[in-house]
Amino acid sequence: MPGETALIVILLLPFMAAFVAGFLPQTARNTEAWLAGVVAVIGLGLSLWLYPQVTDGGVVRAEWTWMPSLGLNFVLRMDGFAWLFSVLITGIGLLVVLYARYYMSPSDPVPRFFAFFLAFMGAMLGLVLSGNIIQMAVFWELTSIVSFLLIGYWHHNASARDGARMALTITGTGGLCLLVGVLLIGHIVGSYDLDVVLASGDTIRDHDLYAPTLILVLLGALTKSAQFPFHFWLPHAMAAPTPVSAYLHSATMVKAGVFLLVRFWPVMAGTDLWFLIVGAAGLSTLLLGAYFAIFQQDLKGLLAYSTISHLGLITTLIGLGSPLGLVAAIFHIVNHATFKASLFMAAGIIDHETGTRDMRRLSGLRRALPITATLAMVASAAMAGVPLLNGFLSKEMFFTEAVENHTGSLLDQSLPYVATLAGMFSVVYSLRFIHKVFFGPDAVGLEKEPHEPPHWMRLPIELLVLACLIVGIIPGITIGPFLASAVTSVLGPETPYYSLSIWHGFNLPLLMSIVALVGGVLIYLALQRYLSSGIEGPPWFRNLKGQRIFERLLVTLSWRWAKALEKLLGTRKLQPQLRLLIGTVLLAACLPLFMGRFAPNLSAFVGFDLGFATMWAVGMACAVIAAYQAKYHRLVALMLMGGAGLVTCITFVWFSAPDLALTQLLVEIVTTVLILLGLRWLPKRMDAPELVRPATLMVTLRRYRDLLLAIVAGLGTAALSFAVMTRPAFDSVSRFFLERAYTEGGGTNVVNVILVDFRGFDTLGEVVVLATVAITIYVLLRRFRPAAESVGLPEQQRIQADFDAEQPHRRPGDTLTDYLNIPSVIMQWMFPVIIVLSMYLFLRGHELPGGGFAAGITMSIGFILQYMAGGTRWVEAHLRILPLRWIGWGLLFAGGTGIASTLFGFPFLTSYFQYLEVPLIGRVPVASALLFDLGIFLLVVGATVLILIALAHQSVRSPKAARAPRPLGPVGGEQ
Amino acid sequence: MIDFIIEHAVVWPVAVPITAAALAAMFWLRQDIQRLVSMVGLVLMLGASLLLLVTVMQDGVQARQFGSWAAPFGISFAADLLSAAMVMITGVLAVAVGVFGLADIRKREEHSGFHPLFLGMLTSVNGAFLTGDIFNLYVWFEIMLITAMGLLVLGKTRAQLDGTLKYAVLNLFSTLLFLLAVAILYGATGSLNMADLSRILATTEPSAALTLSAALFLAGFGIKAGYFPLFFWLPASYHTASITISAIFAGLLTKVGVYACFRVFTLMFEIEGSGLREAMVVIAAGTMLFGVFGAAVQWDVRRILSFHIVSQIGYMLLGLAIATPLAIAGAVFYIVHHIIVKANLFLVAGAIYRATGTYDLRKSGGLMRTNPLLAALFLIPAISLAGLPPLSGFWAKFLVIDASFQGGENWLAAVALFVGVLTLYSMSKIWIEAFWKAPPGVRQTARPVPVLMLLPIAALGAITVTIGLSPEPFIQYAQAAAETLVNPEAYIVAVLGESAGPGVEIAFDPATASPIIIEESVQ
Repeated sequence: MPGETALIVILLLPFMAAFVAGFLPQTARNTEAWLAGVVAVIGLGLSLWLYPQVTDGGVVRAEWTWMPSLGLNFVLRMDGFAWLFSVLITGIGLLVVLYARYYMSPSDPVPRFFAFFLAFMGAMLGLVLSGNIIQMAVFWELTSIVSFLLIGYWHHNASARDGARMALTITGTGGLCLLVGVLLIGHIVGSYDLDVVLASGDTIRDHDLYAPTLILVLLGALTKSAQFPFHFWLPHAMAAPTPVSAYLHSATMVKAGVFLLVRFWPVMAGTDLWFLIVGAAGLSTLLLGAYFAIFQQDLKGLLAYSTISHLGLITTLIGLGSPLGLVAAIFHIVNHATFKASLFMAAGIIDHETGTRDMRRLSGLRRALPITATLAMVASAAMAGVPLLNGFLSKEMFFTEAVENHTGSLLDQSLPYVATLAGMFSVVYSLRFIHKVFFGPDAVGLEKEPHEPPHWMRLPIELLVLACLIVGIIPGITIGPFLASAVTSVLGPETPYYSLSIWHGFNLPLLMSIVALVGGVLIYLALQRYLSSGIEGPPWFRNLKGQRIFERLLVTLSWRWAKALEKLLGTRKLQPQLRLLIGTVLLAACLPLFMGRFAPNLSAFVGFDLGFATMWAVGMACAVIAAYQAKYHRLVALMLMGGAGLVTCITFVWFSAPDLALTQLLVEIVTTVLILLGLRWLPKRMDAPELVRPATLMVTLRRYRDLLLAIVAGLGTAALSFAVMTRPAFDSVSRFFLERAYTEGGGTNVVNVILVDFRGFDTLGEVVVLATVAITIYVLLRRFRPAAESVGLPEQQRIQADFDAEQPHRRPGDTLTDYLNIPSVIMQWMFPVIIVLSMYLFLRGHELPGGGFAAGITMSIGFILQYMAGGTRWVEAHLRILPLRWIGWGLLFAGGTGIASTLFGFPFLTSYFQYLEVPLIGRVPVASALLFDLGIFLLVVGATVLILIALAHQSVRSPKAARAPRPLGPVGGEQ
Repeated sequence: MIDFIIEHAVVWPVAVPITAAALAAMFWLRQDIQRLVSMVGLVLMLGASLLLLVTVMQDGVQARQFGSWAAPFGISFAADLLSAAMVMITGVLAVAVGVFGLADIRKREEHSGFHPLFLGMLTSVNGAFLTGDIFNLYVWFEIMLITAMGLLVLGKTRAQLDGTLKYAVLNLFSTLLFLLAVAILYGATGSLNMADLSRILATTEPSAALTLSAALFLAGFGIKAGYFPLFFWLPASYHTASITISAIFAGLLTKVGVYACFRVFTLMFEIEGSGLREAMVVIAAGTMLFGVFGAAVQWDVRRILSFHIVSQIGYMLLGLAIATPLAIAGAVFYIVHHIIVKANLFLVAGAIYRATGTYDLRKSGGLMRTNPLLAALFLIPAISLAGLPPLSGFWAKFLVIDASFQGGENWLAAVALFVGVLTLYSMSKIWIEAFWKAPPGVRQTARPVPVLMLLPIAALGAITVTIGLSPEPFIQYAQAAAETLVNPEAYIVAVLGESAGPGVEIAFDPATASPIIIEESVQ
């Protein structure tokens, strides 16, 4: 098997297994564990098998085209450093699987756990094996998402949910920053390929964008590795099941940040900025993490803060920018992973066996858990940096580097002291962990009787502790070669000489170690009183909680600011919305005018006609008063609107557009009648004096402001229309229409030819609008129950009814029928006449004013008259047309005519015309457009009649179902 | 026959649904037939879109002239890569939402004409994507507005009436602005055909009238698309409709406004140098920010999602504002991705409602335990919306942010990033409240979610994953589409022919031509 295949198998296997695991049954705990274990073993085996190829700076590389258009290839690349990480991920992964098999309770949804776990393993492997920096960012974010799911695995816990969300927000944000950072790197280097990037260190460091790029990349790395000031998510992530903590929060995910720093070390490190940010972040994290760890009462909290501190140590080493520092950093990554994973597992066992992780309740467990206690003690000693254990070695290297002079800055000067202090702290918390949990009197009041866990559950810890010991005693032959290949792969020719031996003679670092050990023990003794008081959190800093600042920030952002913005703009009332809208549009319309020195063409004002102007003055007055009266007197408003419509109609006549005038007139009539029918059912206006509040000053001001807005907008629109209509004539498509309407469209009525032929498609669209409106009205009124206050008879009918009731010889309703007697007869007789008129309008439409639309409206006027004459019940009993069918047929006719033309090989809606000799009438032009017009006619009749029926039918509804009116409050109801 | 069908590929995506709508209206009282007609119509429409897509990809821009009147005199339909993609995605979404509707739409709503209105709305959406005539575009907008109103008010509840009123008033205002803009444009150029306009405007001196027209187009489409600060109607009305309808609205309707912006501001108006770019940049940033802030304070899933529509629209406008081919490609990719993801999220919200009986996040919960499959299906569009890898949204954001860096708009990239973070936060809120948290009530055995609901959700999720894992063909397509948008020669030639134009062939004597001609010409 070649190396490339091995790489892709290592990467894909966990994902595929995760998918399979997700579908396994709830009870298959063993199958799940076996599956995950086998995947980890295969990954580990393949990695180990690849080792010979990655020594001495060798690289296994596999490349597939992915997105050539963006210059992105899917590259897997394993060098010595990536190899080290793959082995950590798969190796510790294997141990955690074994541990989790015994840790997870059968009642937990175990398939989900293993599915997420495997997916995480895959994402992490993808991250370390990426040979393309975009791909690296992809897997980076993937680890954030999966870790979110893993931390929130026990989602019934509020703390788990909050912790997961916090981790996701912080690391996800960091990931987005990282993405932008690598985008910038790609921008600088011209390629996203890691090999190219690694070879362009000088280009990156000298580029103008170096500082923003570095900061963005560091934001990614420092958030992930929980460095100050982003450290606070990690302790909250301890709500995760312990195997997750052991895996993610000691060995893998938090190491991704330092992995990234090491990866980019050759191309970005070595500048002052790097030292300043990375060094400062690392050093403060090292110290603060250790300090906080001392005062935790939760076992896992202590381990979490110690992890933060150790990550700070690694970051500091990376920040120094010296090759030896980097060696120490890589070494400590491995060491920390081994002892911290084992400590987490030990804490998990304690939790499992006693039911609590609270150190205030734990005591004397060395008697109940002798083996676990021994293992934990060794691991803690490694954490504290006791000689003969691996932690000692890397800590020595750290001290050695700390006393070296790097830049001579204050930060650098303080390094040895801070390092020793942090060393003392780490001794204190390690000591506290061991002393408090395993020594002292037996614990009382535990939920369970603790005893040793199954051997298989302890095995992973035993192996890890063994590794700590072996590496600590004989580093040169155990970890040495692997570390060398990792260091070589990062540093290449710059690889410094370093020695992994335990004994370097009496020197300053050893002295620092001794001081740290002794000082740590002394501090622990001194702190006994404070610690036993059971206060959670350290003195002085207890109130300074990153998490609280974070929450406050989020609340400010996502609630306060959002609320304020919503209040400002997101109003739920229509009036302010409209005001904002019109204001914005006015602004948008005015800006170009001011910028473009708008010069209106005033020459168009020639030919002023007094009569026309008067008529328009009347029309405008009608419109304005209609708007004014709309709220208080709807009937008046409607009448006046009719007046304005009439003026429009006369205007068309004035400018010799009879077809438009005719259509306008008919439409005016029908709409007025229909709205009148609707007005009947609107609730009465509020004219009761107690309901009319006196207008306050604010209200008056608001009204005048709205008036002003309306005037400006209206005048502006009028001016615009005027400018467009009076523009100097020049070539436009309208000439074409005038010229070709008869010769090619077969009609002398240009308007009609435009409507049914040139732009017949628009007409089709518009009648669809009409049909939809009709259907919507019908739907709205289908089960409509009038408001209680409008159910009663109108005043006029009431008087008539009272009159009928008083007269003994009259039946109720007589007056109503009587006074319309003669008109109703006329109206009924008019019906055939109107039908003929409508036919006439329809047929002559192509030549003279008329057409399908006008004919359809005329026809519907006939129906309206029938309603007036005969009443709703009579018409409904006699009505033979089904309006919905008519609408459907009309649409099919109009559309069908269009499609028919395509069958003859012409484009859609091509019209055909021919003269036809008709007996008695003579030569009639017959255009296929006539059929189209017929469709329009049918549809218009159907739609208007449908609206008519829907409105008129209300009068026969029984008022019994009318509900008492409720005030129309806020309707959303969410707030 | 086959040739005939292929030749008219650009017509079918409109002709099929409108015929189906007419048929559905005729069988008003027969719900079973309506359903059948509707489903067959939707599937045929999907087929028609696919045909169009393939034809455009093979043979370039497709154009047909209605009534065989040569452009610019008749009405043209034209489909370039962008149009074809939009029609395609409409087809996919229509089928998915239609299937979901089978399980979600109530009898009452079917009686109220859901099917004809739904099909009518799809007709108008496709018409808007395909038309090559600016006034015809107005007509489609009108149909869209009216059918959407009908759909919004289908349930006739108080909230729906209220939402519909707002929707209607503000959108009618938008169409009015649109009409005004068209009128000014016609007054200045004498043409309505977009390809012809492109040709004419390229040689016309910039004038105040044209800039005004452009501003009005931006405002009119801006209301439709939900740009800052013109979006109020959207969160006020979208959530009131039945969730099936909300889903199709969320996916498609605002995007028609965005599409119209792209068409008008690439084909006809120059963005550079007219002050439009600066305006658009500000609007884009405002849209992104306000949308995401608006979402943060909501508890109703539908309102959260509605506000996110607004914020995501900002990313698309961002692409248009930067106007480099890369940016436009990013925006095109974004549109396609977003339509699928957003509609899918609304469908998931519908499924959540079905399972828990509430849209209020404070009252729902426990779905991770009771319905893990739904949880997994939610995760896909949610992560994609937040722009995390490896899903479609990641690449969409990647392209747009990359383009804003290359276009020198670094601060916009920063805004985009910040909004991404808040979106992630918002999605995690839904996840935690609806899926992780234990339900607050005593009850809660969640009701099962029917397969007909899960199927479309899964299908749309599969598309999201596909785009995410192999984005290359989609990016290539978006780049090609952007190319034709930035250099519209192919579009113009396809519509007008090699050397067409008014005033070229028509020898017309101005002396006899006057607008009041009808009586004269009758003789």
